[in-house]
Amino acid sequence: MKIAFIGQPNAGKSTIFNGLAGYKTVTANFPGQTVHYTVSNVTVGEETFEIVDLPGIYSLTAIDKAELESRKFILSGKADVVINVIDASTLSRSLELTIQLAELQVPMVICLNMIDEAKRKGLEINLKKLSEVFDVPVIETIANKGIGLSKIFTSAKEAFYKNKIPKIQHFHKDIEEKIEEIEKIIPSKLLPNIPRRYIAIKLLEGDAELFEDLRDYKELILKINEIRDEIKSSHGRHADTVISSERHALTMNIFEEVTKVGEPIKSAREKLDDLLTNRFLGYPLLFSILFGIFFLVFEVGKLLEEPLVHIFDSLIKRLPEYISENTLTFYIIKGLLEGFAGGLGVAIPYLIPFFIGLTILEDVGYLPRMAFLMDTIMHRIGLHGKSVLPFIISYGCNVPGVMATRILESPRDRFITAALSVFIPCAARTTVIFGLVGAFIGGIAAAGLYILNLLVIMTMGAILTRFIPEITPGLIMEIPPLRIPTLKNVFMKTWLRLKDFTVVAWPLLVLSSIILSFLEFLNLDSVLNQIFKPLVSWILGLPEQTGITLIFGILRKELSMIMLFQALDTTNIGQLMTKTQIIVFTIFTIFYLPCIGTLGVLIREIGIKKAMLVTILTITVAVFLSVLSRLILETVF
Amino acid sequence: MKTLINIENGKKVKILKISGGKGIRQHLQCLGIHIGDVVTLKKSSFLGGPVLLEINGYDIALGKGIASKIEVEEIE
Ligand SMILES: Nc1nc2c(ncn2[C@@H]2O[C@H](COP(=O)(O)OP(=O)(O)OP(=O)(O)O)[C@@H](O)[C@H]2O)c(=O)[nH]1
Ligand SMILES: [Mg+2]
Repeated sequence: MKIAFIGQPNAGKSTIFNGLAGYKTVTANFPGQTVHYTVSNVTVGEETFEIVDLPGIYSLTAIDKAELESRKFILSGKADVVINVIDASTLSRSLELTIQLAELQVPMVICLNMIDEAKRKGLEINLKKLSEVFDVPVIETIANKGIGLSKIFTSAKEAFYKNKIPKIQHFHKDIEEKIEEIEKIIPSKLLPNIPRRYIAIKLLEGDAELFEDLRDYKELILKINEIRDEIKSSHGRHADTVISSERHALTMNIFEEVTKVGEPIKSAREKLDDLLTNRFLGYPLLFSILFGIFFLVFEVGKLLEEPLVHIFDSLIKRLPEYISENTLTFYIIKGLLEGFAGGLGVAIPYLIPFFIGLTILEDVGYLPRMAFLMDTIMHRIGLHGKSVLPFIISYGCNVPGVMATRILESPRDRFITAALSVFIPCAARTTVIFGLVGAFIGGIAAAGLYILNLLVIMTMGAILTRFIPEITPGLIMEIPPLRIPTLKNVFMKTWLRLKDFTVVAWPLLVLSSIILSFLEFLNLDSVLNQIFKPLVSWILGLPEQTGITLIFGILRKELSMIMLFQALDTTNIGQLMTKTQIIVFTIFTIFYLPCIGTLGVLIREIGIKKAMLVTILTITVAVFLSVLSRLILETVF
Repeated sequence: MKTLINIENGKKVKILKISGGKGIRQHLQCLGIHIGDVVTLKKSSFLGGPVLLEINGYDIALGKGIASKIEVEEIE
């Protein structure tokens, strides 16, 4: 049985999914966290359920690419049961989607999640009445605490085996007549598995995609537009507005019928929220929060790094005592140890505090507030506040960052945001910044690099906007309430992100280290370094052994640094490279070429041509900045 | 005619008209913002910044450009 979770953004779909399937997908307190679907098989007793987590949609009229993905899935008819997840504290609005889902005539369960939030708002919902209105099972859950989740499968089974098709909610008579009129003339070939009523209503609403499907039926389009015009002249509003108002009226009626509204519980949360988005205090707070995380990552990372690196170092130094040097085995074991040490000693100490910080920001719901605060500044670079979300996510990893651009409405904004996201120092590059500049020069220099990076991104945003001057649609975004993150979620999410590092990046590190050892054994490393000498030594002024490390960095950015330790044969880079060289190397690593993984999603999200354009841009910027910083630093030091 | 950007903090207003193209109109409708709805202005626009509204118990941020296309009247 295939069960799809469908609901408005931030209703808790992914939390429910994770609760049932084990932690598989990332949840967060902002609308639009999930931008692609995740599938999982769960066996309960005898039966296996295939559950699907989808991006949130406000309505079946898709506004952005993430919503379109959900809508496509729903219309594909692949789901045997739809579980409509509702944030019970916004019941009246959420029912607008429920009414549309009912039109699809698939067995359904209504899952009222966030019952705790609804209670706080003083809402008391009568499940039995709601269940009667739609004639489907209704259940209550508090997903982040795991309450009520066991009812999901039993109610899904009930809906499926008793064929609980939701009851259609009817509009006013005059509109119903128009719907019927259109139902009759829709060609049977158009979406044959979808109920005619759904198609008729969407056509009345002027749905762009359906009109595209109908482009060969010129007469039909004329007829539909005629009907829409009739509605417009009789109601004095656009047909889509009329339908939307009808739906709104219906939901208000249902809402009043099934809910008792009492006194909301006042809490300190509203006061804090007011402060966080305060027009004056909001900005220093934003700065302090980001700086606080930066500081924490730096201090905690350093604390963990030193002893770990020390252990491995002494181990590698003692290696010749056990295996004779200059043999292949020696090189391979050394490579293995060095790769292992790089992951455990240098990357993980910074990754853990960093991911915890990011998770807390996400779960508290600070990101949408940042979008609100930064809207004006984002307009300066031709975007709007929502682009802040992909940017912040990119600090964790560029791959989900680029994918998060799907929450943006216009293709232009998506392209510019994706192009800029690639320049954001992800966790991998953060380890390079901290592990090299932070460790050998100091925290202020590391902070300086982040600021430089921001300035470069702003400048490039301003330049890109000149080339694509079309104006951005502007910010329209729901700001969810602040929430206290659960310890379990913070832990699981950090683990999920670390897992990606340990199962993908770390083996790659070890493997690359062994390959490098092997190349050293065959003396091939110097051949490769010679090829890159013009760029590396002459232009960037770096030791020529760094050439090979920059090649490895294309796979994963942290490789560059770890290979550097190996190529220079020391973890004490400070002795072999000048401060200028360390900074130039780091700047180059931050900016040049997105790593393979990022390049992959970039191609998928914006197409190969534009992705190549971005790639060329990154190299140009990297070389330009490295040379510039080399010239400046050489005169300073 | 007053729009959402000329309203002070904390005032309650009723939405009279949403001008601008179909795109904006539909986006707002999807989010549950309709003509006739009563909204509270939680944060008014400051130096060209966005506004923050409360509508039917949830918060929505609207950029200045969009806020200026929503005509409203103050209610007591
Ligand atoms: N108070 C409360 N918070 C919840 C509940 N369920 C989920 N949350 C929190 O709500 C936020 C949103 O949850 P998600 O599961 O990411 O929501 P989603 O529906 O997948 O959102 P999109 O992917 O953006 O559509 C997270 O911060 C959750 O921890 C609940 O029952 N009560
Ligand atoms: Mg989700």
